[in-house]
Amino acid sequence: MNAPLESTVVKTTAESTRPVPARPGIDWLRALLPCGVAALFLLIWDLSVRFSGSDLFPKPIEVARAIVELIQHGLLVKYVVASLFRVSWGFALATLIGIPFGLVLGWYTRAAQAFNPLIQIFRPISPIAWIPVAILWFGVSDAAPIFLIFLASVFPITVSAMAAVRNMQPVYVRAAKNFGLSEWELFSQVIFRACLPQIITSLRIALGIAWLVVVAAEMIAVNSGLGYLIIDARNAGKRYDLVVAGMLMIGLIGLGLDMLVRKLENFDEVRWGYANRS
Amino acid sequence: MTAAPFFSLRRTVMTFAVVWLLSVSLLHGWMNLHLFTGSQGGRAQYRFRIGFLPVTCHLTCPVTDFINRQQTGTSIFDPVRFNAWPELKEAYLSGYTPATFILAPMAIALREQGVKIKIVYLGHRDGSALMVRKDSSIHTIDDLRGKTIAIPGRYANQRLLLYRELKARGMTLSDVNLVEMPPPDMPTALYAKAVDAVSSGEPFMGQTELDGYGRCLYQAKDVWPGFISCVLAVNEDMIKKHRPQVQELVDGIAKSGKWLDTGMDHRMEAAQFVSTLYYNQNPRLLAYVLSKPPDRVKYTDLKPNRANFEEIEMLGKEVGMLKGTAHFDDYVDTSFAPDDDKVVAQDFEYKTQ
Repeated sequence: MNAPLESTVVKTTAESTRPVPARPGIDWLRALLPCGVAALFLLIWDLSVRFSGSDLFPKPIEVARAIVELIQHGLLVKYVVASLFRVSWGFALATLIGIPFGLVLGWYTRAAQAFNPLIQIFRPISPIAWIPVAILWFGVSDAAPIFLIFLASVFPITVSAMAAVRNMQPVYVRAAKNFGLSEWELFSQVIFRACLPQIITSLRIALGIAWLVVVAAEMIAVNSGLGYLIIDARNAGKRYDLVVAGMLMIGLIGLGLDMLVRKLENFDEVRWGYANRS
Repeated sequence: MTAAPFFSLRRTVMTFAVVWLLSVSLLHGWMNLHLFTGSQGGRAQYRFRIGFLPVTCHLTCPVTDFINRQQTGTSIFDPVRFNAWPELKEAYLSGYTPATFILAPMAIALREQGVKIKIVYLGHRDGSALMVRKDSSIHTIDDLRGKTIAIPGRYANQRLLLYRELKARGMTLSDVNLVEMPPPDMPTALYAKAVDAVSSGEPFMGQTELDGYGRCLYQAKDVWPGFISCVLAVNEDMIKKHRPQVQELVDGIAKSGKWLDTGMDHRMEAAQFVSTLYYNQNPRLLAYVLSKPPDRVKYTDLKPNRANFEEIEMLGKEVGMLKGTAHFDDYVDTSFAPDDDKVVAQDFEYKTQ
């Protein structure tokens, strides 16, 4: 659908005098458009701070300096690693438990009837509400934020896996049964595979949520992480440049993680599920 | 896109997940948990954690830790910095921090609720204030009527301090609008006119002065001399099992307090190393609140005194903060606290790092 725009760009570049379409790998407009919007956003941000006369809210350049300061002090890498460690383990545990649990609930109606109300009760409780419980159970170690991140991401994964089984085409199962597959084979070879596209989408959403709650999870007295950076900067007087630097880093890493999970959609085992949507 | 069999997806995901989790765990262990930096020393000795907040009321905690580490290379305790009162309290309740700096009324209230907690020493005296904006129309306590005032929490002694002032002028807390707010957020709230006044421990009150928009309505030292906000409390089980360590802790805190109060140069040195190593604040801020004026906050005369606590109990009961079921002997253990005239200042010479 980008074809007309693509050809316009090709025509305007100096080296593209030949009437050959651009290589499919390079879509300049696709790269330039978000950069343009980001630049416009930075400009509006900068002008808003200048015109408001606020000396508390930082300008983009001050945030950039804060990021450089964090790098120079060796803190940025440490904090990014700490946050990634907690999110990775929380999310990994949520995936390991959420997917099989969701598949089982989706397949066995009685199990769903038994567990679904409880899941729906736990699902809307904010991770912030769990902070006191997490501290009482796990103290202030890494286990507490990992537990909060696990809680935030396990329910979306479970519910999506359950819904995926429910919406699965019955023909797959009928065919599998005709081949005489055992219950385990049915799960691993048919149900799981049939649900994979939807599961991958739910993982993408859940990873976003896991990364979203990192600030809340690191409100517990851990002494590292991007969430900690934001909370700690509030102690430091007028260091709102560090607050915004932390926010920016969380956003950028969130984007990177999302791009990583989206790579899974390129596998044929998953891509068939999206074929009719593109 | 290259067609890939099912196993290649599984293998890719599995390999990536394992490599990712392993590398991120190793990096975290190395960079943040310092797992691979050799032994910590003194492992046979009992070590414990102490909770504190980055406020001047808890200054003796990092000062003692710093001096211990400078003199002996280790410390009997690990200071754990919190950012808000609820998390600090919950970490104490969970047993994670068997000793903690805590608001005096909060410790009394916990005792009333059956928590095994004993106050063994005071954190400081004075060092609290109520600030308004420079351009505010509030000039006397009477002007506070109907105004919104931020306090650190319902169990904060600043609430009792305010109540005491209002009561002296025939008012009660219902004549003002109290909101609870973490102290680090107070300067910004005052600057943005979100509240009319803020009251907490230092350095957040001094910060509003230093940044040029705050005006002091009252200092604790002027209206309630010897004001106590925070105390050092320990778990009763720790007192039973590790009495020598509790004594060592109290002695260290007492000597550090004396060291802080013997010479302005000591306070300026503390402002430097505490700001950079423990509080992550601008050293100028701590230097300001520890010197302007020098008696803004004091770290001597820290032995718990019955009359002080009975006044807190009485005021706490009047505002509905305390039930009045726990008394001085229930929540205080004075056996560790040395008499003030017997406390000797730490023998410590600060060398710039």
